[in-house]
Amino acid sequence: MRSYLSAFRLRWKMELQYRGAMIGGIICQIMFGLILIALYRALYASKPQEMPIEHVVTYVWLQQAFFRMLLASDADLLDKIRSGGIAYDLCRPLSLYGFYYARIMAQKMTGSLMRAVPMLVFASLLPKGWGISLPASVPALLCALAGLVLGLLCVSALENITMAFTMKTLDPRGIQAMLNMLMMVLSGNILPLTLFPDSWQKVITLLPYAQLLDAPIRLYTGDTPLSEAPRILALQAGWIVVLTALGILLWNRHQKQIIVQGG
Amino acid sequence: MNTIKLYLRSMIMLIRCQLEYPVSFFLQTFAQFIMEGSEMLAVILIVDRFGRVNQWEAGDLFFFFGMMSVTFYLTEIFGRGITGNFPYLIRTGQMDTILLRPRGVLTQVLCSATDPRRITCVGIGIVSLVIGSNLAKIQWTWLKALAMAEAVMLGGVLILGLFLIEAIFVIYSVKSVELVNALTYGGRSACEYPVDIFPKPLRILFTAIAPFALVLHVPSGYILGKPLYSWPAWTAFVCPLSGTVFFAIIYCFFRLALRHYRSTGS
Repeated sequence: MRSYLSAFRLRWKMELQYRGAMIGGIICQIMFGLILIALYRALYASKPQEMPIEHVVTYVWLQQAFFRMLLASDADLLDKIRSGGIAYDLCRPLSLYGFYYARIMAQKMTGSLMRAVPMLVFASLLPKGWGISLPASVPALLCALAGLVLGLLCVSALENITMAFTMKTLDPRGIQAMLNMLMMVLSGNILPLTLFPDSWQKVITLLPYAQLLDAPIRLYTGDTPLSEAPRILALQAGWIVVLTALGILLWNRHQKQIIVQGG
Repeated sequence: MNTIKLYLRSMIMLIRCQLEYPVSFFLQTFAQFIMEGSEMLAVILIVDRFGRVNQWEAGDLFFFFGMMSVTFYLTEIFGRGITGNFPYLIRTGQMDTILLRPRGVLTQVLCSATDPRRITCVGIGIVSLVIGSNLAKIQWTWLKALAMAEAVMLGGVLILGLFLIEAIFVIYSVKSVELVNALTYGGRSACEYPVDIFPKPLRILFTAIAPFALVLHVPSGYILGKPLYSWPAWTAFVCPLSGTVFFAIIYCFFRLALRHYRSTGS
């Protein structure tokens, strides 16, 4: 366990190095947030919906703030497979799955926390209807935080499954792009899941992608009442177990077939 | 003329290069299809839930989206040299060889790369245009077709200009800068929808600074028979010229920046 923790810590420190890129990224993300909110406000002005606009705005800001939790993949593994450096990793007396799980989690956590804090401060300073609103209640906030942690575990497990596919081929850009896109749509980044047709939502919210950010955000805004919270958290935990088990299975199988590129 | 021949030769060679790895190429092209397809899905779902926004109805929204996709991704296919290859040239110091050759810098950079995978994105854009045109019951005339061709072409010039801003930043800072993306890709995302639904600051940004609205939305409004800001018809042909002006200004800055180019060596 200690070695996984140190893999986590090293990656965490590495991510902290890129502060310049981070500021550019934050400004870009804020811009996108503002554009999306302007769009939804215009749409709401033409035809108000059941769900208040403040919830949609909060949804957008939280999605933008934790964007890096969704889209940040470990490019190192790809290089290692191409260069043959994967052989060193195979020599480690560790489970490779655990090793990469720790790295991915660190990357996603630093990436999103460093961006989320300044962005949420900015979003809370905006006028009502443009800025993020307060959580529905204190227990709702606590549930949302718990949900966010479970979401992080869930997305790390998902990412590791993508990595398992990466191992199979030397050029995984195609399949990676597709899986990433699936994540962006079904996690509510491109369009809030709350604005999907109601009949679709019943299915989509059960999928693992909805557990990453959509579930915690709904707990935060109060769209999911507190009485539902245990069910949501249990669903998240269930997915974590399933995805981790599937990931370990795939890694074990693909690891044996890895071709170490020499040179 | 010689330059155009050179450009076509390079494009053919580059595309043949990419087709050497057919499976990878087709998978990536398909991934692009999924990517742009999900952008369009967002428009479909928005239309499904909201129906319309201000005076713009479903067909209009599809049309605006299609105009942006076609223009933006055509530019990405041909302008890949600036966005993808130029930062690499600067970082590795290969820019030196380009400066030594007896051809324009921009020509050589544009000749150095292409991104044919985006063709599926253009395809999605065309599908959206056709849907939009049918839903909005556009009465096509030669003039309207001309306006559309002009908008797509000059829109490409405008976007190329935006890519050049990125290149200028790269020359100064060696690393590519995400900040410029806020304007280029932010502009793409915002101007998939008619600009007049946005609040004033965004409207000014995309009309006066990065004139997506003048180049794409004014002609689109004319074609749809709902002029943007009720401007007269001739504006649909004059406004897109602002894309060329934008490009010319940025190009001057690009020339200036090139003088400051310092090789990274070796």
